[in-house]
Amino acid sequence: MGDIFSIYRIPVDVWVADGVDWLVSNARFIFQGIKWPLAQLLDGLEFLLHITPPLIFLILLFLFAWWASNWKVAIFSVAVFALIGFMGKGLWDYTMTTLAAVLVSVIVGAVLGIPLGIISARSDRFYAIIRPFLDMMQTTPAFVYLVPVVMLFSIGTVAGLIAVVIYSLPPVIRLTNLGIRQVPDDVVEASTAFGATPNQTLLKIQIPLALDTIMQGINQNIMLALAMVVMAALIGAGGLGVPVYEGLNALRIGLAAIGGISIVGMAMVLDRVTEGIGEKAPGKRE
Amino acid sequence: MPSIELEGVYKVFGDEPDKAVKLINEGADKDEVREKTGQVIGVQDISFEIKNNELFVIMGLSGSGKSTLLRCVNRLVEPTKGKITLRTDSEEYDVTTVDYETLRQIRETQISMVFQNFALFPHRTVRENVGFGLEIQGVGDKEKNRKSQELIEVVGLEGFGDSYPSQLSGGMQQRVGLARGLATGAEVLLMDEPFSALDPLIKVQMQVELLDLMEEMQRTVLFVTHDLDEALKLGHRITIMEAGKTVQKGTPEEIIVNPKTEYVANFVDNADPSDVLRAVTIAEKDFRVSEDNRVKINETTEVELSNGQEVEKGYLAGTPVSIEPLEGYDSPEKEVILYVSPDTPISEIMRARLNYTSTPVLVLKDQELVGFVTEQNLLHGLLEKGRG
Ligand SMILES: Nc1ncnc2c1ncn2[C@@H]1O[C@H](COP(=O)(O)OP(=O)(O)OP(=O)(O)O)[C@@H](O)[C@H]1O
Ligand SMILES: [Mg+2]
Repeated sequence: MGDIFSIYRIPVDVWVADGVDWLVSNARFIFQGIKWPLAQLLDGLEFLLHITPPLIFLILLFLFAWWASNWKVAIFSVAVFALIGFMGKGLWDYTMTTLAAVLVSVIVGAVLGIPLGIISARSDRFYAIIRPFLDMMQTTPAFVYLVPVVMLFSIGTVAGLIAVVIYSLPPVIRLTNLGIRQVPDDVVEASTAFGATPNQTLLKIQIPLALDTIMQGINQNIMLALAMVVMAALIGAGGLGVPVYEGLNALRIGLAAIGGISIVGMAMVLDRVTEGIGEKAPGKRE
Repeated sequence: MPSIELEGVYKVFGDEPDKAVKLINEGADKDEVREKTGQVIGVQDISFEIKNNELFVIMGLSGSGKSTLLRCVNRLVEPTKGKITLRTDSEEYDVTTVDYETLRQIRETQISMVFQNFALFPHRTVRENVGFGLEIQGVGDKEKNRKSQELIEVVGLEGFGDSYPSQLSGGMQQRVGLARGLATGAEVLLMDEPFSALDPLIKVQMQVELLDLMEEMQRTVLFVTHDLDEALKLGHRITIMEAGKTVQKGTPEEIIVNPKTEYVANFVDNADPSDVLRAVTIAEKDFRVSEDNRVKINETTEVELSNGQEVEKGYLAGTPVSIEPLEGYDSPEKEVILYVSPDTPISEIMRARLNYTSTPVLVLKDQELVGFVTEQNLLHGLLEKGRG
């Protein structure tokens, strides 16, 4: 009785391989279309960050962190980035590349994730449809989708970026959805009762009240993006993944370590700064 | 001049409303329907008309469907069945079938609402809350702020315009909700227990404010309350609801004098009837006119009538005295006989008896004798609430 599974084999592996092959030969232009704006954005940000003199960068960082949070976070942020710079000029450059990738993922999160989250909050059906995709994006082991990503986008910085975006987008959608659904019904009802259209209610009531939850989504987005950066280095993304990956390959523990320290440092800075912005959200007035 | 008419309005919560409505029509009550179908009846077969400038009160115990009914009127709750008509100066709308944009405009300009649980916007200041309706109407900042400030003052919250709701007490929050509801200038007001969280002093102040508003501007108000004294004080007419149904509808006095069911009687028993009962209701109307056209009111008091029953002269212990209106009367040292119109609340007679006179008070309609109110009539009226 043991081997019922030998009766039939569902060839999912073949389907997926064929599917990807089909996409590569027939729909490549779509993926090139996705690739182009992302590449422009990434290259532009990277270029800007690289030509900015480190001292100017640190001053701007200080001011931004102060505005977003407070002077303590500002000093902490500058200290962390200065430490990275003093550990090596090469490391600073990697950090700027990674920061550019993180910024792109935040931008995609904002322009794609927040609207998708809003649609999800308004339509149970829409959310039910995209939910499995969100689960997939977050839990499929990176190694599994790196291969099709490379096949569709060819190896390079954008392929790495795509992997980062896929992995980091879901929390923005989920938390935007959650934040908007959490706005009490009676408040939405009051807005409706005064003749507000659904869009007015969204802009004047729901988004402001959901803003701190949405900011948590952006925060998660950044954290996940940083976590994916090392993986992305495998398929040609530059940045802090490179020293980690090289250190691993050549068993240069020191090199891997400073790469790792930089990632963790950046994560802490970005976490505190976005948290500060979230605290400013009007919903916190409750 | 808006008026609202409800005809056979039903609201069933649940996904099989037709089943529930059918059962109701077969005579089932709310509990039976819930048992058999799992559907919850919000309101069933409600019909009434609220006239222009009328304050119509909905009363009932918790869960009797007051809020549901109120929400049907601006369709925050979608009625399952029935028709709701809003008539304004220029238009007549069937609220239950209008398209979305018309409904939105009705909500924006015609019908305003004060919520039972306040439902303030926590991220907006008091001023921004009060100005919300005007903001939706597209009123300019300057006018909006002026109007908001005016209403903030009306509800006695000057100085709190820049506070957030969370910084205010419950009663203050309720007044913000009130100001927000009044600010839009809508002529129809749906008020869901708008004074429930106020302390007695401010409550009276707000009640007076509402009555003034109704006198100054034409407003049509649908007012939900738990508080019978409030209902009696404010309501032109009152409807009493029980388990989604109307059990009685009438003027405050009709309800007090003639409660139709035990449920209503229970409500009414604890009410103070003195502002509601009218002189004519409790007066002794069964009097005999003697040969010489005199009516003996008690041992010492007599009045003389003209041929047309008009009161001509009064006598106290045989001495002629003048007959004067109670309203505005202010000279306790004179010996007089006082009279009131039939609609005068008995509380005014009681006050007069306390201050000016111990003789019975006449009830006159166009100078004709309708009856008179003695001490005994007063006590009987108070204790028996004018019944029997
Ligand atoms: N959204 C809803 N879903 C299901 N049932 C509801 C809903 N809203 C109200 N009900 C039910 O409808 C009935 C009437 O409720 P409603 O809120 O109108 O009562 P109420 O008279 O306003 O009570 P209260 O004095 O406590 O405010 C109740 O049985 C309630 O459970
Ligand atoms: Mg209620």
